[in-house]
Amino acid sequence: MAEHSRETPSQDSSTVTLGSARWENIRRAAYRFRANPLAMIGLITLVVILVIAIAAPLVVPFPEDAAGKVHPTARLRAPNEVNYFGTDNVGRDIFSRVLMGTGLALMVGVVIIFLATTIGVTIGALAGYFGGWTDEILMRLTDIFLTVPALVLAIAVTAALGKGILNVMIGISLVWWPGFARMTRGLVLSLKEEPFVEAARGLGGGHLRVLFRHILPNALSPIIVKMSTDFGFAVLTAAALGFIGLGAQPPMPEWGAMINEGRDYFPTQWWVATFPGMAIFLVVFSWNLLGDGLRDVLDPRSRR
Amino acid sequence: MSIRLYVLRRLVLIIPLLIGLTLLTFIISRVLPGDPVGLAAGPQATAEIKEALRREFGLDQPLPAQYLNYLTGVVRGDWGESLYSRRSVIADISTYFPATLELTITAIAIAAALGVPAGVISALYRNKLPDQITRVLALFFVSFPAFWLAMIFQLIFGLELGWFPVGRRFAAIETPPAAITGMYVLDSLLHLDFESMRMALSHLFVPALVLSFGSLASITRITRASMLEALDKDYVRMERAIGIPNRVIVTKYVLRNAMIATITIISLEFGWLLAGAVLVETIFDFPGMGLYAVESSLRLDFQPIMGITLIYGVVFSLINILTDVVYGILDPRIRYG
Repeated sequence: MAEHSRETPSQDSSTVTLGSARWENIRRAAYRFRANPLAMIGLITLVVILVIAIAAPLVVPFPEDAAGKVHPTARLRAPNEVNYFGTDNVGRDIFSRVLMGTGLALMVGVVIIFLATTIGVTIGALAGYFGGWTDEILMRLTDIFLTVPALVLAIAVTAALGKGILNVMIGISLVWWPGFARMTRGLVLSLKEEPFVEAARGLGGGHLRVLFRHILPNALSPIIVKMSTDFGFAVLTAAALGFIGLGAQPPMPEWGAMINEGRDYFPTQWWVATFPGMAIFLVVFSWNLLGDGLRDVLDPRSRR
Repeated sequence: MSIRLYVLRRLVLIIPLLIGLTLLTFIISRVLPGDPVGLAAGPQATAEIKEALRREFGLDQPLPAQYLNYLTGVVRGDWGESLYSRRSVIADISTYFPATLELTITAIAIAAALGVPAGVISALYRNKLPDQITRVLALFFVSFPAFWLAMIFQLIFGLELGWFPVGRRFAAIETPPAAITGMYVLDSLLHLDFESMRMALSHLFVPALVLSFGSLASITRITRASMLEALDKDYVRMERAIGIPNRVIVTKYVLRNAMIATITIISLEFGWLLAGAVLVETIFDFPGMGLYAVESSLRLDFQPIMGITLIYGVVFSLINILTDVVYGILDPRIRYG
């Protein structure tokens, strides 16, 4: 009787414990994150940058300059009280263009990381879970992409697809996924031997359900860490392709392309190239601070 | 398995990988939506001229035949020629590659010289101020767009301070050392021409410094982590207990064990810097693979693009093998298998 009465509530309490354990983990992680001043600085800067990205069209003095309106009489003005960052070679207000470019830069980063993660995690998960020929084929494909440094391959792919910001995003995503694939495969390989996977299979879960509902959620932390540390570099790579001339075409306010335009006037009219470069730096630096903090929080191996 | 056999096996294993890569570059080059032939032929070209060009480059044949032609060419050392300059791709690569190699070697040397001590300091002062400062600085430097930093450094070191020349590999009016390896510093050393060596080095320094920043963060981080791991080992506690001075423990025992991971990351980073050189070379007008890659890709000149991708694949794979071999030599516990 006593045993029986303990059994029913224990099922209840175990789910409660499980749920609160997960909550407890998140709470602890958040605590560790808050205790990391650098990560907090990164997070706050990013929030500010996000606000700027959203508010830019409403607050910048010359929003039409981002769309390519030219002012031939106001060419290459040094920073002054009207044009805080000066004007470029066709008289556009650089302050307005840099701020209006924020949303574009963030969007490019988000799209690249989202696409690369989706492709990479899917391929890596399938390879790791099914093993055998699936694994062999998918991983040899991954290896081919990993043979060449991402930047070189991205240049080749984007050149082939044609200039433009959309092709830059596609090109970089196409060379960025292999890192995610290899990592996910490793995670899935070790997780699929766990008893809970066997339990889920035993309860009649189909392969894809077990893989995507049970295994992958447990592999999430390292994937999130990689997403956040990669984000800054994705922004940097996209800007690099813009700078080379393969990316966004004028008059789009893409920072890399703006630096390229400013190159001809550097260093005499230093402001044309300097401010977009500082903007790239700020975004990448705050992401790196955030990513570094997240790694400390979510990746137990680096927690020292 | 002996090292020799291991290396041989790894070398054989990269062959299918490289064949896969040629297929990939071939697919990339054939999806080009632009009209490279039209671009190369010029605006006045008639349809006949374009047709002749297309035939000359074998573009009129069916795709599998084109790929087979390309593959046999690659094996025979004929990597095609540029549609634009009509120069042989392999000849161009052999001129440009040593320049990039020289730049990258200098850059990785700078990155190691800065990053390893930074990582050691970071580990010895774990979670104290010097540690925090080093970690922030490493993240700080890696966050700069290299092409932008290159411009700023050109301004500071070249124009304001006037310490270094800020463009090209050598003074325009001087003759570079006769080519042996194609790397100016090494060639001038082999010729015992120290004036040329000084000139080549002074041209290399600023671009290499910019390039090195890309690897600072990871070298620092890995050095720190492996130092911390080594410091935690029982033998360190034992050495402390028997009264060996801390300085000796760190330099003689801990550092040596921590270096295994660091050297691995340095050689991996070397491969990445080889690619990162693309951006730095553009700014410094440095005639290497990067400038070549950028110019070819802007012109849709697909033969050089394929060649560049392939050579990067070959070099990158070789570096990976070398890394594993060095790793095994440094850590005798590792068996090749």
